[in-house]
Amino acid sequence: MKKFFLLLLLFGSFLYAASIESDKEFQQAIAKIGKEEKLVLMIYTADDCPECAYMKQKVFHDKTVEPFLNRHFVVMEKNVHRSSLPDGFDYFGIPTMFFIDKAGVKKETLVGSKRPKPFLEALHRVWGKK
Amino acid sequence: MRRVLAALLCLGLLQVHGYDPEHLKQLLEEKECIGCDLRGADLRGIDFSGCDLSKSDFSGANVSRSIFVMADLNDANLSDANATESVFWKGTMQRADLTRIHAQGASFKGTYLEGSNLSFADLRGTKSWKANFSSALLKKTDFSDAELGDAKFIHNDLRSSKLTKSLLWKTYFSNVNMTKAQCAHAKKEEAIFDVNVTCR
Repeated sequence: MKKFFLLLLLFGSFLYAASIESDKEFQQAIAKIGKEEKLVLMIYTADDCPECAYMKQKVFHDKTVEPFLNRHFVVMEKNVHRSSLPDGFDYFGIPTMFFIDKAGVKKETLVGSKRPKPFLEALHRVWGKK
Repeated sequence: MRRVLAALLCLGLLQVHGYDPEHLKQLLEEKECIGCDLRGADLRGIDFSGCDLSKSDFSGANVSRSIFVMADLNDANLSDANATESVFWKGTMQRADLTRIHAQGASFKGTYLEGSNLSFADLRGTKSWKANFSSALLKKTDFSDAELGDAKFIHNDLRSSKLTKSLLWKTYFSNVNMTKAQCAHAKKEEAIFDVNVTCR
């Protein structure tokens, strides 16, 4: 019986670890947000991904994008080859960007890179839907 | 005359579509067709991922929205083909004849296009990150709005091609001829200019 409970606990902890709410990086992002009204932008990246580098190095720091991004979003990154990926956040291409509220609810998903202008428009749309 | 044509059609001596029906059957059943005649065939929305289609003739065929992920299209002929929104991700298209291909919105991410003929090709709005265009013929190729980040252009003459609003972040240019306007656009986009880039 003890073994059964141990197995149940172990299985339960695996399930728990797979949810976004229990994800370490997500919890850190939520802690950063504090009491502010912000969304989490979780970007899936890979090492050999020029589109990911373009988003992180160029688009996120574009002078038209960065102020709005910092005001309303907290960015967290997950390398699909090195990080554990939360359950329910599957991807079909890299980069994939998920917009998630504090409760861990997925609001929208963007696949592939975007240039600054359409990316800013997407940010406005997602923020407007909040 | 009408009777003669009807008789030839019945005997299968005249093929209205141009392609070889046996080759089309082989392609659809086995997903492999080397050196096949598929001219003008309707191949829309089919998944050919990983297939060996080298040396096959797809000229004038409709392959729009078809998927060729990691497919071998080396030495293939896709001239005048409709490849709108098709996916050639990480495929090989070396020495392929892609003259006048209509590939608007297609994906050539990580595709090897060395030595291919892309003259008069419509590549508007394509996603061609990390594609390799080395030694490709680019006469009047339309790259407008194309995403060419991290792509390679080595030994190319781009002067007659359109690069309007193309994304050239970290695009690598070496031993290429470009117009002054193209060079200015590429520099603004943070492209990498290696040796022998002529801007005139």
